[in-house]
Amino acid sequence: MKKLLTWSIPLLVLFTACKKEKTNTSVVSMDPVDTTAQLAYRSVFTDGPYGTTMGVAKIFKKNNNYSLVLDSFSVNSGPDLHVYLSKERQPVNFIDLGVLRNTNGTQVYTISGMPDFMEYKFALIHCQAFDHLFGSANFY
Amino acid sequence: MKKIILLVLVVISGYSGFSQNKTPGKINRFTDLTVAAGSGRGTAAFSYVHNWELGKKQKWEAGFGARLTSYFGSKQEHTTAPARLARGTTVPFAVVFAPQKSENWDTLTVQRPWSNALNLSVNFGYNFTDQWSAGFNIDLAGFTLGRKTAAILTSNGITTTEPAAKPSAFNLLLTGDLDHGSLNSEFFLKYKLNSRWGIRAVYQFYFSEYKTATAKQVAPDGTLVTRFRQKGNNLGAGLAYHF
Repeated sequence: MKKLLTWSIPLLVLFTACKKEKTNTSVVSMDPVDTTAQLAYRSVFTDGPYGTTMGVAKIFKKNNNYSLVLDSFSVNSGPDLHVYLSKERQPVNFIDLGVLRNTNGTQVYTISGMPDFMEYKFALIHCQAFDHLFGSANFY
Repeated sequence: MKKIILLVLVVISGYSGFSQNKTPGKINRFTDLTVAAGSGRGTAAFSYVHNWELGKKQKWEAGFGARLTSYFGSKQEHTTAPARLARGTTVPFAVVFAPQKSENWDTLTVQRPWSNALNLSVNFGYNFTDQWSAGFNIDLAGFTLGRKTAAILTSNGITTTEPAAKPSAFNLLLTGDLDHGSLNSEFFLKYKLNSRWGIRAVYQFYFSEYKTATAKQVAPDGTLVTRFRQKGNNLGAGLAYHF
């Protein structure tokens, strides 16, 4: 029996060592926004079928670099929430800006490359694991 | 297809000949429950093994069995499966050692994989002492059931959503990237606690294969690819009951 226990311990360690991506829900985020950047697009978030989302999505441009600012933002908590720039409201073709860092407050996400915002016209809060839309903002 | 049929016939005739030429020795029959884990994934496998002990000293053993492997995880990356794209050759056995053509690989990140593969298996072992043994086993053919799950196909930096990726239904060992479906294989070291119970330390090499319905890779030759494979290295432990 002792031998079985000896085997089970490293196994438990292996199983619990899995990586988890988690959005912070306990504190309000206050990322600094570059006031010298130019506001290129702006849109208010609307709820998705699986979440209640509030705030404003803003695209800022500075020296041919874009960033997405979630201003006065809030969303209900969910698993594996990501921030997308998407061609569609229900994302099929999208750019993943990363895990949503916080469910409340102002946050800045760097946009790599130079996407065409005529195409990538939605900012989305999307649950990647379950393919569920929590909120969207339409720039056009 | 002809190659596949030929290979299956060779394998079957090889093993039936093997069992006919050797004098059957003592039978080593057992069931086994093995759990294994890798990065963000795990497997639980229940096996039945029927081995014949071989040779003068009956140190060697070989036989067949059946194995049900449940595979689960989170955000598991699968890459382009067809051997003609994934490897430098499609010749059976040689494909294992052929250079990888990673320039052709796209990645399907399966969000919440869960599949259950029931396969026939072949087993080999060597008994060092009455307590200690080592061996190898591999799945031959079978079928897989599993849930559909969201996935993300990343192709040349462009990401598209696959809303319903599902495990490939049929499994067949054809060596290396020629394989189809979900196939389990293990190297193990076993210690018998008594005449009934044994424990195993396992290195598992697990092939998981998912198919897409809407998101498809456009291969350099213009064909559409819907099969994506993960070759996972896992470590685990097993508990065997002999009867």
